[in-house]
Amino acid sequence: MRIVAKGICKSFAAPVLRDVDLEIPPGCIHGLVGENGAGKTTFAKIIVGLEDADAGSLLLDGQPYRPANTADSLGAGVAICAQELSLVDDLSIAENILLHISTSSWARVRRKSAHEKTSTLLDLVGLESANPRSRVGKLSLAEKQLVEIAKTLATDAKVLVLDEPTSALTAPQAERLHGILRDKASDGVSVIYISHRLGDVLSVCDRVSVLRDGKVRLTEECGALSEKALIREMAGADADFDALPRPTESSAPPHLSVRGLRTSRLPHPISFNCQRGEILGIAGLAGSGRTELLGAVFGLDKRLSGSVKIHEDGRITEVRNPRQAIKCGIGLVAEDRSKDGVFRDQTLAFNVTIAGLGGISDRTGRLIRSKEASTVGKLIDALRVRSNGVHQKMRELSGGNQQKSMLARWLHCGSGLLLLDEPTRGVDVAAKLAIHEELVRLRDTGITIIAVSSELEELQSLCDRILVLSNRKLVAELLRSNWSQQEILAAAFSEYAREDEPASVAVP
Amino acid sequence: MTLERRHLATETGNRAFRILEENLIFVSLLAIVAFFGVISESFLSLTTLSTLFNQLPALTVVSIGMTLVLISGGIDLSVGSVVALSAGVIGVGISLFGLPLPLAACLGILAGALAGLANGGLGAYLRLPIFIVTLGMLEVARGLAYLVTDSQTVYIGAKIQAFAIPWGGSGVSASILVALTLVVAFEFLLRSTIFGRQIVAVGSNESAAETSGIDPRRIRCTVLVISGLLAGLGGLMNAAYLGSADPNAGIGLELSAIAAAVIGGTSLMGGRGSVIGAFVGVLIVSVLQIGLAQIGITEPTKRVITGAVIILAVILDRWRAP
Repeated sequence: MRIVAKGICKSFAAPVLRDVDLEIPPGCIHGLVGENGAGKTTFAKIIVGLEDADAGSLLLDGQPYRPANTADSLGAGVAICAQELSLVDDLSIAENILLHISTSSWARVRRKSAHEKTSTLLDLVGLESANPRSRVGKLSLAEKQLVEIAKTLATDAKVLVLDEPTSALTAPQAERLHGILRDKASDGVSVIYISHRLGDVLSVCDRVSVLRDGKVRLTEECGALSEKALIREMAGADADFDALPRPTESSAPPHLSVRGLRTSRLPHPISFNCQRGEILGIAGLAGSGRTELLGAVFGLDKRLSGSVKIHEDGRITEVRNPRQAIKCGIGLVAEDRSKDGVFRDQTLAFNVTIAGLGGISDRTGRLIRSKEASTVGKLIDALRVRSNGVHQKMRELSGGNQQKSMLARWLHCGSGLLLLDEPTRGVDVAAKLAIHEELVRLRDTGITIIAVSSELEELQSLCDRILVLSNRKLVAELLRSNWSQQEILAAAFSEYAREDEPASVAVP
Repeated sequence: MTLERRHLATETGNRAFRILEENLIFVSLLAIVAFFGVISESFLSLTTLSTLFNQLPALTVVSIGMTLVLISGGIDLSVGSVVALSAGVIGVGISLFGLPLPLAACLGILAGALAGLANGGLGAYLRLPIFIVTLGMLEVARGLAYLVTDSQTVYIGAKIQAFAIPWGGSGVSASILVALTLVVAFEFLLRSTIFGRQIVAVGSNESAAETSGIDPRRIRCTVLVISGLLAGLGGLMNAAYLGSADPNAGIGLELSAIAAAVIGGTSLMGGRGSVIGAFVGVLIVSVLQIGLAQIGITEPTKRVITGAVIILAVILDRWRAP
C-alpha cells in the first residue's frame, strides 16, 4: 500500500512535528532517524491512531485515512510494532500475538489453531524454542521484543511501522528481522523503520528521512548516504551559543568521585569525577542509562560494585542510600516529576520542606509553622515560583513552577550537589530560560550540578563538561573547548553499532 | 446601596457556606444529635451519654491507629481480633496467673504491639500485600485469643472495671479520658511533627518520599505497630467495660474503625486524613446506633441505615475535595 503524509503538524507543550511530508510507495522500506525528541515516535503514533495530528492529512492508496485508534488502523491494514512493548505479561505468547486480530471481541479463542499459527510466526522471527503456551512474563527482554514483532507480523498488514524494533536484539536476530522485512517489501508491503542504529537503517532501508526539531531535513536513497552524513543532518549546523562564564579550574579534590559504579541496570562500570561548582552534563539517547546513572549515584538502585564518594571539608563519605545521599548534601530532581518528585495533593510548603523537616522543627521533632512559612516564602521568592502562597496545593501549579519548587526542596536542605534529570522537561520556553538562569546562579554560589538532558543545545549552553552515555556505557567526556553537536551525537550512537551484543543488557 | 448590600449578603452567604462545607462532619454530627433530640424525648439525657461513653473508648483508640495506617497508604484488618487477643491475655494473666493489673495490662498491649510488628515486618519489609497480611493476622489473632482463653469468657472482676466505670454520675471514666487524650495527642503528632509529615508523604507518593530521604518501609511498619499497640489498649478498654475477657470481642471492629476514619475524611488511597475527623466519625456512628435503637428501629434496619451513612459520607467527601 502507498502511504502518504502531507503537512502533518503536532504540538504538545511545544511543536513536535512541523509540516511533515513523507511518501512511502508499496514495497519500500523507509528509514526514519533523528535524535531524541525529533518527533519520530510521535509520527509513528499518528499513523496508527495513537495520537491525532493537529493539522495535515494521511492518504492510504489515495484514500483519506484518519484512524481514531489502533483498531481503526488495523482495519485499514496498518500495524505498529511499538517502542514500548505492548505485551501482557500474564497471558501466553499465543494469546498475546493473537489478542488484536480476533475477528470480534466475543469470538471464541480456538486454542489449537492459535497455537499452530503462533508456532509458524515464532519460527519466522527466530523464536523456535519458545512454547506458544508459555507466559510472556517469563521471557527475556529480547524474546519479548521478538514476540512483539511476531504480533505485528500476525496482522498481515500492508503498512508496517516499526519503532526501534531491534533495540534489545542481537545482530543475528536483527539480521533475521531485516530478511523478513525485505520479503514483506517484495510482497508489496510498505515499511516505516525507526531506529537509533544507523547501520541497520542504512543496510535494510531503501530510503531514509532525517527528522530534526519536528521537520524532515532530508529524504534520500540509502545507497548515497553514510552514517556520518546522517549524524550531520540530525545535529544540524552547530549553532553559536552564548557561552556562560566558566568557573576557574581548581586543583582542589573533586566534590564527587564515582569509581567503577555498577548496578543491575548499568552493567558496565562507570567512573568519573565532578568538581565543586561545576555543571556537568550527561548526554545520551533515551534508554542509554542516563536516568539510571543519576539513580545509582543517589543510591536508589542496589549497587553491585564500585563506590560513590563525596568530599566535604576534607572528609570523604561513601554514599549508599538516598537518606545518606541527602545527608551528604545530594539532591535528586527526578525525570518523572509526577511519579518521583511531587506530592500533588499536598501544599507547596509541604513539598518544599519534606526532605529537610529538621530545618523547620525544634529538637523534639515539633514543626514550627511560622518558621516553615517564612523559610518557604523566602525560597519561592528567590526562585520566583509563581503561586498564591505557600499553602497552595501543588497540583494547581504549572509544570515550570513545580520544577522550581523541586529545586527549592533541595536548596532548603542546603544541598551542595544537585542531580537534575531533564530539568526543563515539560515546561514552556520562558520557564526554561528562567530555570537555566537559576542553575547558573546556583552554580556561581558554589553548588555543583549534574544535569541530564535530551536537548544538546541545553547541555551545550549550560555545562562545563559533558559525559556521553551510549547503550549504558560511558563512552566519551567532552570539554566545552572541544565539543560539537556532531561529536556528541556520534558518541551517543557509537555503542549501538551492529557488532555489539545488546542482548546482554539486563532487563530494566 | 442595594447592590452593595446584596453583594455583602452573598459574600456573607458564601462564607457561611464555606464554613459549613469545611466543617461538614461536625455539622452532620450536630444535625444527627438534634434530629434524635427532637424525635426521641429520652435521647438528650445522661443515660444516653453514659451509654455512649461506655462504647466509645475501644472504638476510638482503634480508629486512631486505623487512621494513621490508612493515611500511610496501608490498611489494618487485624485490629478487631487483636482487641480480643489483648483482652484475653489480660484476663488470663489476672485470673489464672494472678498478675497485678498494671503488669497484665502491659502484657496485653505488648501482645497487640507484637501483632502490629508482625504486620509491619511482613507488609513493609517483605513487601507482601498489606491487605492480605492483616487479613491473615485477623485469623491468627482471633485463633490465639481463643487459645489463651480456652474459648471461654474469662471473668476478671471489679478491679479492672474501675477503669471504665464513670466517676460519680458524670459519665466520664478513666477510659474515655485516655481515649480523648490520645485523640488530641495523635492529631498533634500527625499535624505538627516530622513523623506526621512523613506518614502523609509516604501515603501521598511513596516514590517521591523515598527520593526525599524518607524510608517508606520504616514509616509503614511504625504505623502498623502503633495500630497494633492501640488495638492492644482497645483490648484493655473492652475488658474493663465488660469486667471480663471475651474471646469474641471486637468482631467486625476493623470495619467500624475504617468507616469512622472514612466518615472523618480519611482517604483509603492514603495521603489524607485526620484523627479528630476519625473521632467525629466514631461519634457519628455511635450516636446513630444509640439514637436508632432508642426510637425503636430494629437491628437489621439499623445496619442498613449505618451502611448508607458510610456511603453518603464518601459521596460528600468526593464532592467536597475532588
